[in-house]
Amino acid sequence: MAREEKIRKSDIQAYYEGLERGELWARRCLKCRKLTFPPTGCCEYCGAFQVEWAMLSGKGTLLFATHNIAPACHPRFESIAPYVYGHVRLEEGVVVQAIVTGIAPTPDALRKVFERGELPVVASVMKRDDLPVLTFAEAR
Amino acid sequence: MRNKLKERVVVSGVGCTRFGDLLETPELRGQSLQELAAGAAREALEDARIAGPDVDAVLVGNAMVHSSQLPATYSQLAKWTGTQLKAGVHFEAQCSTTNVGASLAAMGIASGVYDTVLVIGVETTRTKVKGHSPWEREPLSHQETWLWTDMAVNQAYGVPQGYDIFSTYNGLLALGYCRKYGISLEDYEKGMFEICRTRRLHGSLDPKANVQETLEEKAKRLGFANAFDLWRSEKENPFVAWPTRLMSLVTTADGASAMVLTRKDLAGPNTRPVELKGFGICARDLPWYDADPTVWEFDRRAWEEARAMAGIDASDIDYLHTHDCSHVSGIVTAEMMGFIEPGKALHYARDGRLRFDGDRPMSTHGGRHAFGHAWAASAGSDVYEAVLQMRGDAGRRQIPKRPEISVIHTHGYAMIGTVLVLGGI
Repeated sequence: MAREEKIRKSDIQAYYEGLERGELWARRCLKCRKLTFPPTGCCEYCGAFQVEWAMLSGKGTLLFATHNIAPACHPRFESIAPYVYGHVRLEEGVVVQAIVTGIAPTPDALRKVFERGELPVVASVMKRDDLPVLTFAEAR
Repeated sequence: MRNKLKERVVVSGVGCTRFGDLLETPELRGQSLQELAAGAAREALEDARIAGPDVDAVLVGNAMVHSSQLPATYSQLAKWTGTQLKAGVHFEAQCSTTNVGASLAAMGIASGVYDTVLVIGVETTRTKVKGHSPWEREPLSHQETWLWTDMAVNQAYGVPQGYDIFSTYNGLLALGYCRKYGISLEDYEKGMFEICRTRRLHGSLDPKANVQETLEEKAKRLGFANAFDLWRSEKENPFVAWPTRLMSLVTTADGASAMVLTRKDLAGPNTRPVELKGFGICARDLPWYDADPTVWEFDRRAWEEARAMAGIDASDIDYLHTHDCSHVSGIVTAEMMGFIEPGKALHYARDGRLRFDGDRPMSTHGGRHAFGHAWAASAGSDVYEAVLQMRGDAGRRQIPKRPEISVIHTHGYAMIGTVLVLGGI
């Protein structure tokens, strides 16, 4: 009887496969209950390796928005640079930085966003050739 | 953590090359990386009145091996520095490299293992090896520099998802700073202009600086009526991460620095050592801050460790360098330490208080913008400047009252806060 070979899937791969489906996965610590996002195999707060998968809502608050440099530092983002890049607090309390869509990367547009203060946003996924990318857009 | 040095450790020799471009800068042109590193090491060894065979260990740092193609620097530099048959290690803490090296050296000395340690940092962020040539180099593109540098940043989820240093380290932080302290974007613009003006003034007074042209001189050369018109020029000084402009950032450089550390009682009679009184090191992965972009907990911890080890507080600091790849990050760190009142740094800059002749002198070599940034070598250039200031050897940029206590803070990508406290003997 042939021995079944079990190949462990990387947490990184699992995260991106979830993102491809439009899901946002974190790790919840079984000891302190805090969330590590994006996921690793260890709680970033208490160091416990006992963690479980937890799906996030994707709802959050855009705290600040700026833009990146063009040409982009990484070839993956060359065709969309400059893009808006934001500082977001998810409703679960996790702080994340990501590309923000729906805002022009211009001083005038970004100034208006800054003057409006904190804005509700929702997560979405930008399809790139080789990888899904987590983005946020203002909630309507 | 006991956070104490069991022996007193001194920096007995310092060395630093001109920061610039190995293809263009007259003092550097034609040198190999081995010669660049050896130049800094030689200056440090001669300053300490010793030679390579007198050291017990060599700690050599280089962050971006893609451009240097020089791993295993401990053996590759041994014949260039007279350090054959010594303990050696190649290491990196990115842009904190040399000062993490100084801390490791202090630990090695204070524990009683080594008497004397040579620390070297060498980096090329403007040029790379040409083909497979042993000595020829060619320019490095902006994208190559950052693609390779960003390999030090979260490769699982940060860089693959659009992370950008200019946004994270500049734009978001600037907006957080303005909102927290109620600073208008117009005042922010003027404040950043004043900080750049100060950095470039300092660079113009340092013959080893990458950029030695003041902002006023550059404005005149380019035909602007005044320096602020140049500052607001979208062509010459574009936004790289609104509201941060290009000249609020680092300039890339090739360069090397070195220092000799030894037990206090072993520093020779003809040397002019300064004491390494304390250090602190603390790292954090992205994001570097939580909801408030101005609160960098790892920097606070690094400062607290260094301050406690040295037995000083903010009021003791006579000279300060904070890592200023990003000018706004540099002032946020200075405010966190208590060297500047929170939210007041832009006023200090406008009033000239951060100049070499001001009452809060900072980054008198010109910082990462004017002195330039050669990743693994830069922290050593900050120590070099502090030692010159403490000896009264800083020439036209000498702080009028020679510093007794100097504090050097650096950020190693991405991100390790490192603080050294140097004291006069």
